[in-house]
Amino acid sequence: MKKIIAILLVLTMVLAVFSGCTGQSEQPASDVKVSEEEGKPAEQAKPVEITVVTSYGGDDGNRGNYENAIAGFEDATGNKVLDASATANEDWKAKVMTDFETGTEPDVLFYFLGADANSIIEADKVVSLEEIRAEYPDYASNMKEDLLVPSPADGNVYGVPSSGFWESLFVNTKVLEAAGVKVPDGDYTWDQFLADCQKINDAGYTPVAVSLQEVPHYWFEFSVYNNGNVSNHLDMPTSAVDATGEKWAAGFEDLKQLYDLGYLPENTLTATDAETVQLVADGEAAFLIDGSWKVGYFVENCSDHLGDFALRYVPGKDERKATDIIGGISMGYYITRQAWEDSEKRDAAIEFISHMTSDEVLSTFVTTEVTALKNGASPAGLNELQQSAAEMTGGVTGIVAPVQDKLSSEARADLFSNVKNIVTGKITIAEAIESALSIG
Amino acid sequence: MNSAIYRDKKPLLLFLLPAFVFLTFFLYYPFIQNIFNSFMNISGLGTASKGMIDPWYGNYVKMYEDPNMMTAFKNTMILTVCTIVIQVGFALVLALLVDRIKKGAKLFRTVYFFPIVISATALGLMFNLVFLYKGGMLNQFLQKVFGVAENIDWKSEEHFLLTMLTPVMWQYIGFYFVVLVTGLSSIPVEMYEAAQLDGANSMQRIRYVTLPLLRNVISTCLILAITGALKVFDLPWVMMGSGIPMDRSWLMGTYMYNQAFLRGDVDYSSAIAVMIVVLGVVFAKLANTLFKQKDY
Repeated sequence: MKKIIAILLVLTMVLAVFSGCTGQSEQPASDVKVSEEEGKPAEQAKPVEITVVTSYGGDDGNRGNYENAIAGFEDATGNKVLDASATANEDWKAKVMTDFETGTEPDVLFYFLGADANSIIEADKVVSLEEIRAEYPDYASNMKEDLLVPSPADGNVYGVPSSGFWESLFVNTKVLEAAGVKVPDGDYTWDQFLADCQKINDAGYTPVAVSLQEVPHYWFEFSVYNNGNVSNHLDMPTSAVDATGEKWAAGFEDLKQLYDLGYLPENTLTATDAETVQLVADGEAAFLIDGSWKVGYFVENCSDHLGDFALRYVPGKDERKATDIIGGISMGYYITRQAWEDSEKRDAAIEFISHMTSDEVLSTFVTTEVTALKNGASPAGLNELQQSAAEMTGGVTGIVAPVQDKLSSEARADLFSNVKNIVTGKITIAEAIESALSIG
Repeated sequence: MNSAIYRDKKPLLLFLLPAFVFLTFFLYYPFIQNIFNSFMNISGLGTASKGMIDPWYGNYVKMYEDPNMMTAFKNTMILTVCTIVIQVGFALVLALLVDRIKKGAKLFRTVYFFPIVISATALGLMFNLVFLYKGGMLNQFLQKVFGVAENIDWKSEEHFLLTMLTPVMWQYIGFYFVVLVTGLSSIPVEMYEAAQLDGANSMQRIRYVTLPLLRNVISTCLILAITGALKVFDLPWVMMGSGIPMDRSWLMGTYMYNQAFLRGDVDYSSAIAVMIVVLGVVFAKLANTLFKQKDY
């Protein structure tokens, strides 16, 4: 008898150990098939749990709007959203990709629409708009068709765009005033910028807030842009010495010049991005290039002196006017193949994305960004900084997507990890470009 | 009562089976697969191999040619030495001191052990604030108390090793302290009394009674410290990220993670993982030989 009990105990323990190994839904697949074959709607009334991953992490300026939108969806449908959002950075992208590769992907993913998503599209892990519309003809019908972003992997549209973005120059007007520098306008040139940086430096402030060790992305983008123009910005080099490669090299030279002249924070090679942004917020640095998402940061953290900040244009050089900015629609909602093939989750995922990209919900997210909505977004009650951003975007003469989005995340990680080595002369610019291009 | 069950060892084997099966599936199988992966061309986690790399041992050659890997190896060796000297050394001194006091011993045990229960990520974030360039606790202290004029960049090439190692050392001293205090409490009081009657002073009692009788416990601590140092990852990763500054602070653990998750070079990171295991086995064997346990 004791032996039997012992055997039963052992079997129970073994089963307990391996019971967590399955990543499938609790309902057996065969049950789902039966339901489909019988033509029954997959128990519509039953609440469904869907897992959602987005970049609306804790410190995102739109986190509150996102939570409200989810609450609205849950109240309206009775479904439950398991939110696993986090701040978008290279670690987050790697984690999202790893989840797909290991079969633990979410049901709905809010992710980049460019080359970052190539691997999940090539692996057929997400569903195209065409396939979805074959069964749900009204899906994403409130979006302008020409602003739906085709995937670089196969030219099909997969993600439903949310709000767009822009990248531009945040300035601390108090610092400029203290340094005797005029707040830049729409014809701001690189030479004027260098002269202003010198004045700001002489006044004891840091001219440019940037962490070269963590986020040199924006400065790379505009430095390359400044050595080209709107029409050729998205060209990719095939080597460091072709025309585009030389354009990239000239961009890195400009960035190195800023470093050599001492216009960047003293600890730019060791500081985090958060530390350098804080310099602008605290009135210790004058200029910051960042995206539309950073407006939320200033609104949240500097509400008592929001008037100290303004949105202006990154200084232009040669063919690029200062009013030519970086922007577009870079992120959207994907339905994963796993959710699409689950008859219960499919409807919930469709409903969720339709809710999150509805005119009403998107208008709460959008302040001054580009939008793909046919009816446009109608943001209300803009604060001082948002008003400044609206004026900035109102004067834009050209807009182009970031060229870095055409690099794979591995190549981008390699290129940006070498920026510190470029500015300190540890490797040549050509070596850094060739190294990234060799990855793809 | 039938006592046959105590003679029959088969039920024991049955109870050992779950752990064996678990380890086989979740440790030995992945480890063997990892060795295979280190010879293959794999460009993303979970993606299929594109065949064997050419030459098949290429990743192991690459390790010797990769300056960042050499930095990681060197830093890991420094960390290992510091672990032995500082973690176990300090823990021993603290344990000897606490063992000699009558009141407050429990308080000290709790205080020194406490860092172990805090997550390494939380500690990393806390020490980031301590070493922050502008407004960090340490810089403020130096400025207010010693009148230092300039902020010190504690993550610069001059100071990064101190900045990275201090929290790691500090976190685990308490662990070895508790192990050693437990070892000290098992030494019979009569031994000390006999030594005292023979005229031994405090230092002589430590030298001739405590340390020899504590040898086995110290050996265990040293082996744990050496093998543990090779696996350190979380706290340095939170504080120093991707090799801050200038790729100088890589450890083998952090570099392996970087290659696997940020660079997508799965085969190379597998080779680094194999190297970590090989070093762990060699060092553990070496430590076992050097600090061979004695029966008293």
